[in-house]
Amino acid sequence: MQEFDTVIGLEVHVQLNTESKIFCSCSTRFDNPANSNICPVCCGYPGVLPVFNKKALELAIRVALALGCKINKQIYFERKNYFYPDLPKNYQISQYKMPLGEKGSLKLPSGETIGITRVHLEEDAGKLIHKENYSLVDLNRTGTPLLEIVSEPDMVSPEEAFDYLTYLKLTLQYINASECNMERGSLRCDANISLKEKGAAKLGTKVELKNMNTFRGVRDALSHEEKRQAKVLVSGEKIFQETRLWDAKHQITEVMRTKEEAHDYRYFPEPDLLDFVVTDSAVNNEKKYIGELPLDKRERFLKEYKLPVTETDVIISERFLSSFFEEACKEFNEPKKICNLLLGPFLEQVNTFEEKFKAVKISAVNFAKIARYFSEGKINNLGVKKVLSLCIVTNSNVDEIIAKEGLLQVSGKEELDKFAKEAIAENPKVVKEYLGGKVQAIMFLVGTVMKKTKGKANPRVVKELLEKALKK
Amino acid sequence: MDNLINLSGREIAENIKNGELNDKEVYSFFKQRIKNSSRLNAFVEIYDEPIMGEGVSFLKGVPIAIKDNICIKGKKITCASKILATHTAVYDATVITRLKNAGLQIIGTANMDEFAFGSSTENSCYGPVKNPWDIERVPGGSSGGSAAAVAARLVPFALGSDTGGSIRQPAAFCGVVGFKPTYGRVSRYGLVAFGSSLDQIGPITTNFTDCAYLLNILCGFDEFDSTSAPLASEDFTQNLKEDIKGLKIGIPPEYFGKGLAPEVKAALTEMMELFKKNGAEFIDINLPHTEYAVATYYIIGSSEASSNLQRFDGIKYGLREPAANLKDVYVKTRGKGFGEEAKRRIFLGTYSLSSGYYDAYYVRALKVRNLIKKDFDEAFKKVDMILTPTSPTAAFKFGEKTTDPLSMYLSDIYTISVNLAGLPAVSFPCGFTKNNLPIGAQLIGKDFSENSLIKAGFSYQCWTDFHKRIPDLK
Repeated sequence: MQEFDTVIGLEVHVQLNTESKIFCSCSTRFDNPANSNICPVCCGYPGVLPVFNKKALELAIRVALALGCKINKQIYFERKNYFYPDLPKNYQISQYKMPLGEKGSLKLPSGETIGITRVHLEEDAGKLIHKENYSLVDLNRTGTPLLEIVSEPDMVSPEEAFDYLTYLKLTLQYINASECNMERGSLRCDANISLKEKGAAKLGTKVELKNMNTFRGVRDALSHEEKRQAKVLVSGEKIFQETRLWDAKHQITEVMRTKEEAHDYRYFPEPDLLDFVVTDSAVNNEKKYIGELPLDKRERFLKEYKLPVTETDVIISERFLSSFFEEACKEFNEPKKICNLLLGPFLEQVNTFEEKFKAVKISAVNFAKIARYFSEGKINNLGVKKVLSLCIVTNSNVDEIIAKEGLLQVSGKEELDKFAKEAIAENPKVVKEYLGGKVQAIMFLVGTVMKKTKGKANPRVVKELLEKALKK
Repeated sequence: MDNLINLSGREIAENIKNGELNDKEVYSFFKQRIKNSSRLNAFVEIYDEPIMGEGVSFLKGVPIAIKDNICIKGKKITCASKILATHTAVYDATVITRLKNAGLQIIGTANMDEFAFGSSTENSCYGPVKNPWDIERVPGGSSGGSAAAVAARLVPFALGSDTGGSIRQPAAFCGVVGFKPTYGRVSRYGLVAFGSSLDQIGPITTNFTDCAYLLNILCGFDEFDSTSAPLASEDFTQNLKEDIKGLKIGIPPEYFGKGLAPEVKAALTEMMELFKKNGAEFIDINLPHTEYAVATYYIIGSSEASSNLQRFDGIKYGLREPAANLKDVYVKTRGKGFGEEAKRRIFLGTYSLSSGYYDAYYVRALKVRNLIKKDFDEAFKKVDMILTPTSPTAAFKFGEKTTDPLSMYLSDIYTISVNLAGLPAVSFPCGFTKNNLPIGAQLIGKDFSENSLIKAGFSYQCWTDFHKRIPDLK
């Protein structure tokens, strides 16, 4: 059986977090009605001219820096010419010969480093909505600033490509450059994959994959293509240089266009924009916004907080979580307990919010307080959930809520003993089962006491009392 | 009222200001004059009511015609092309905003070569404009409607656009003053692009006084045009003085050689004598890369045009030919919508930018463009400005060059280098042929030296009356 090395390179497009578009002042909002965020400039009306939004350049510099790129000082835009109805000028203003950043890299948790070939700025196209025998054009997205991030063909497996995407996304989110939401289209990914004989230096013929809508989709499409190419090669046939579309429903790739049909984009320098200089001060200014990058944070967290890798990865996976976690630990230095509360009840509630973390108002200090009260036995599990649900979007005073809602856990044995005895008296059948050796039956009695105390009893204490009473 | 045609725009404004005339009368007079001269075909559309802002200026109330490739909100803008024949502008070009703020009366749109491709206005979908001096001859192009209208006194002012001579060459053929400002002086926002790195909007007037006042309104930095020069505004009227003592004028032999009509050469020689008599000095200079200018221009201009014209695709505005699939919408719409010359430029530009040819054509053309610019830089170390003919001949006859595009392209041989170098230049009448056709002279200045050109041109018009001659329209 022939063996192959897999060679993968990714081309990622991310929308930069700017308020307005890259060459006009229209809003970049995602969810407005079709063709509401448009003007003559982004619609390509006759006579319009582009004016470069410097905010896009700032964010692009920030990304280039975070990816360790060399930043070109004198850059310019070029026109990429092709006809398509979602591209109103029928050319895209992009960068070609002189990208903003070159020769960067991204480190992965595995220890591998993936080279970044180039990072360049361009304008996004609009969207087509296909109907039965016609198509509609929505130009809201047209002109949204995009950053194209091209990797070296350094990835050796679909899983590594998945990790690369994960850490690229995290890096961009940490520096607040992009939302990187694939479902909302703020991150898009095309992949190039080829196989070569194991150990060989010469690269095989590459195939470009498009139309993947999730990171998992990228991984699956690559896995599928890896197998398809291996099969073709083993059978002695050739791989054709072509673009294939991923069909997520049927989990297959299909030919979109062959090399012969490839566009000649006729790039040339955009005459409507002048060359511009990326100043040292502009670069230095962006350095301020690059804090600790996710991979560094991950390594530090593993060392400092000594949490399991899985939990650490979840905390790292959201910039909000990682800083919230760290702040909370400053207040209550019990990382494991903070982590449990954070990844348990807290995330459970956040996931019900449409705006996710953006809706969260509770301070890390208040959150730590809840964790401490729980750890001290002041409130029980139910109490935690209740107080959290009342504070999470308001940041109300935790102590006041506990008092007002009567959430203080009842641990007093005398007080609870009365309820325990009642529970035993009311449930002779269960008692009989328990005494007959069915140990689990005691939990029903614990539950009865919890009900009687409206959830305020300390279940551990209740259980002890019940066991003691039933031993007699 | 008939005396109005003998007044400059500035004088009309003065008369309106002091109550001798009112702006409505003035408007009606010129509107009627345009209608009476419809055989010149200089206009695409005449507005019943003027487009006019509230602003005040030294030119308040003066009617002005706009080349049909500059956007006037709510009005048709067609670029004399079938592909845009139904299009209405949704915004004002910056120059239109400025004219409104200055209180001028926009009277209508002037005919032109389709998308400004041409040197004779024979490439208009509305048919050719006729030269008011001889209606069997072309008015030049591409701003032929603008130049013919001003020459025939159908309107005191017009705006044109100049990519390779499109203001100056028709100004020469029609005997008026056509000014192409320095690249970046006038905002291009709202001018339908032909060659973005070459295009400039400029005024066409009968005399330099009007030219200076109009430039005051048109010029200035515009945040909507990234190629607009961030310079403080200048008062060009400060230089309406007869004073050329010590002026050093360069004469490039490359512009006076083969192909130059003897009558044109003679007129320029006479003109030089006048300048000398009044204290100017003539110095020979060399512009050695001149012979490559036409080739360079047609590669750069057409490359940019091919890309700029891609937006006319039948999807968003303008003509759309029904078709069964997307590709056919493009092919049929563009096939029907664009005229022959537009197609020729699109082919030429697309070819020059194609992979495999890009370096040999476009990249090389950019290099030559730099050399041409350097020629001028060198020359301007020795002289203040350069004098040349505007065109090798006076106006030619209809059809004379339409079958031979190259000979048509060569009629712009003296104007093209100026756009490649981004310099300011002006064409103005310096004589007439024995057939009574105007002859144009061109003065080329250093970057942003509009002021010196105005002073030299104004001085010349103090000594001559060519600019006061009016064609007989009967």
